[in-house]
Amino acid sequence: MIELSDITVRKSKGLLLDGISLSVPPNDFVGIIGPNGAGKTTLLNVIAGFERFEGSLSLFGRSETWSRSRETRLRIGYVPQLFQIDPAFPILALEAVMAGAIGRVGLFHTPGKEHREKAMRLMDMMRVAHLAERPLGQLSGGERQKVSLARAILQSPEILLMDEPTAGLDIAVQKEVLNLVDEIHKMQGMTILFVTHDFNLIPSAMRRAVLLDHGKKLLDGDINTALSGDALSRLFQYPLVCFERNGRRFVSYG
Amino acid sequence: MAEPFIEALLYPPIQRAAIACVLCGASCSLLSVFVVLMKMPLIGVSMSHAAFAGAVLGLLLDFNPFVSGLILCLLTAGVLGPLSDRTDIAPENVLGILFSFLMGLAFLGMGILTRTKAGALNLMWGSLLSLSKSDLVILFVITVILVLFIFFFFKEIRSVLFNRRLAAASGVPERMIYYALLFLTGAVVSSNLATVGGLLIFALLVQPGATALQLTYNLKHFFLISAASGIGACVSGLVVSYLLDLPSGASVVLMATTIFAAAYLLSPKRRYAKSKERKLFHEIDKK
Repeated sequence: MIELSDITVRKSKGLLLDGISLSVPPNDFVGIIGPNGAGKTTLLNVIAGFERFEGSLSLFGRSETWSRSRETRLRIGYVPQLFQIDPAFPILALEAVMAGAIGRVGLFHTPGKEHREKAMRLMDMMRVAHLAERPLGQLSGGERQKVSLARAILQSPEILLMDEPTAGLDIAVQKEVLNLVDEIHKMQGMTILFVTHDFNLIPSAMRRAVLLDHGKKLLDGDINTALSGDALSRLFQYPLVCFERNGRRFVSYG
Repeated sequence: MAEPFIEALLYPPIQRAAIACVLCGASCSLLSVFVVLMKMPLIGVSMSHAAFAGAVLGLLLDFNPFVSGLILCLLTAGVLGPLSDRTDIAPENVLGILFSFLMGLAFLGMGILTRTKAGALNLMWGSLLSLSKSDLVILFVITVILVLFIFFFFKEIRSVLFNRRLAAASGVPERMIYYALLFLTGAVVSSNLATVGGLLIFALLVQPGATALQLTYNLKHFFLISAASGIGACVSGLVVSYLLDLPSGASVVLMATTIFAAAYLLSPKRRYAKSKERKLFHEIDKK
């Protein structure tokens, strides 16, 4: 479904990605893990079509350049990090979710009743249906991220790219968002790439992880291999230990 | 008190000035929605200086100043989009660089203009009473194109205004919409050089949108309030300038500021935010 071969991204500040190769089959749930500046977001941006690159990229069996056709974009959902929005900005939460259907209905058409109903169902699933008529800028960070998830799913993508969706949220809301991500993967069966630098915030459906460091791939394998004290200590150049509790893996200072 | 103005409306130059006021108010205030919501106030000054510099160059080369102003505005729009998309420079900095370059170009043209500078100064302040029929026709056509663009691409525009990257990710042709907005800004600014001038147009590209921002969360209402306040400022400014014998451009800008101040003071959004804040402090005190 996603095939990257020798992907390199150069900027004036240096190499952001250095010869990354990666293959992601359908329905896989892959974590992209690494410290700040490792190239995680850049990798997601390359797949989303926001970044120019060298090397070859194939999506859905078709070779792609940095620029994407509308058809390809529709098949890829994107959930960014929590971003600031002016509280006075004229957009309601439901309108922000409905934005996910705009590309699909195309120019000169408006999203219909069925899109509105689906948007409300998704907001209900994200437990934000009661906020549908509230201005988006007045919602809390967690509520805005749930709206963002609903918008991305309304697009009905086959691949979902998530860039640290839990960053900047309260601990209880982080857990709630992670549970929703698990639920989405289970119900919608999407291929998910989940970027994080916090290995204690890993959705339980994630089975594979790619460790990145300074734009290079350090490890690509099973989540248990990736979340081992050895691998993470090497990645962060700091002694770290991993332990299991209630069937989940946690990482702490060594 | 308004009788002398109504009588004056019988004269063609005043009729043209009144129609131009409505068209100028409508076109600039509709664009101000983009300028305010995309937080790009410098785009107004950059475009107005591009139009002004182009018009001065037109005067220097004995060429139609509107056409040369329009060409330089469209060139600026054509450079601005790709430059902010494809380089590491932030759009605000790109606008700042373009603005200062165009201002330098305009003043260079003024400096080497050997004949009377009255024509060039008119482009800076505007001259409502000396508008020709062709000026009006151009302004009308550009205003209609802008209104049709907003009408047909409303949902895509909302998406781009909210977040360009998310719009692109959702399959919206965001670059087409963004570049079209830049080109329309250039066209509106250059067609309004003769009405309010290159300097004062900046006020009309910011204040109506800022007024609407105080009053609504609904984007359709936002466009309507912005248009109403822009047209209101232009028409009332013209009436006041005629009755009190004041410069028309300055009167229009002062009226726009008065309307914004009234909207700010009466803003239901601001009152709601304040009451929410008071409620929060009250709850903290109770604890």
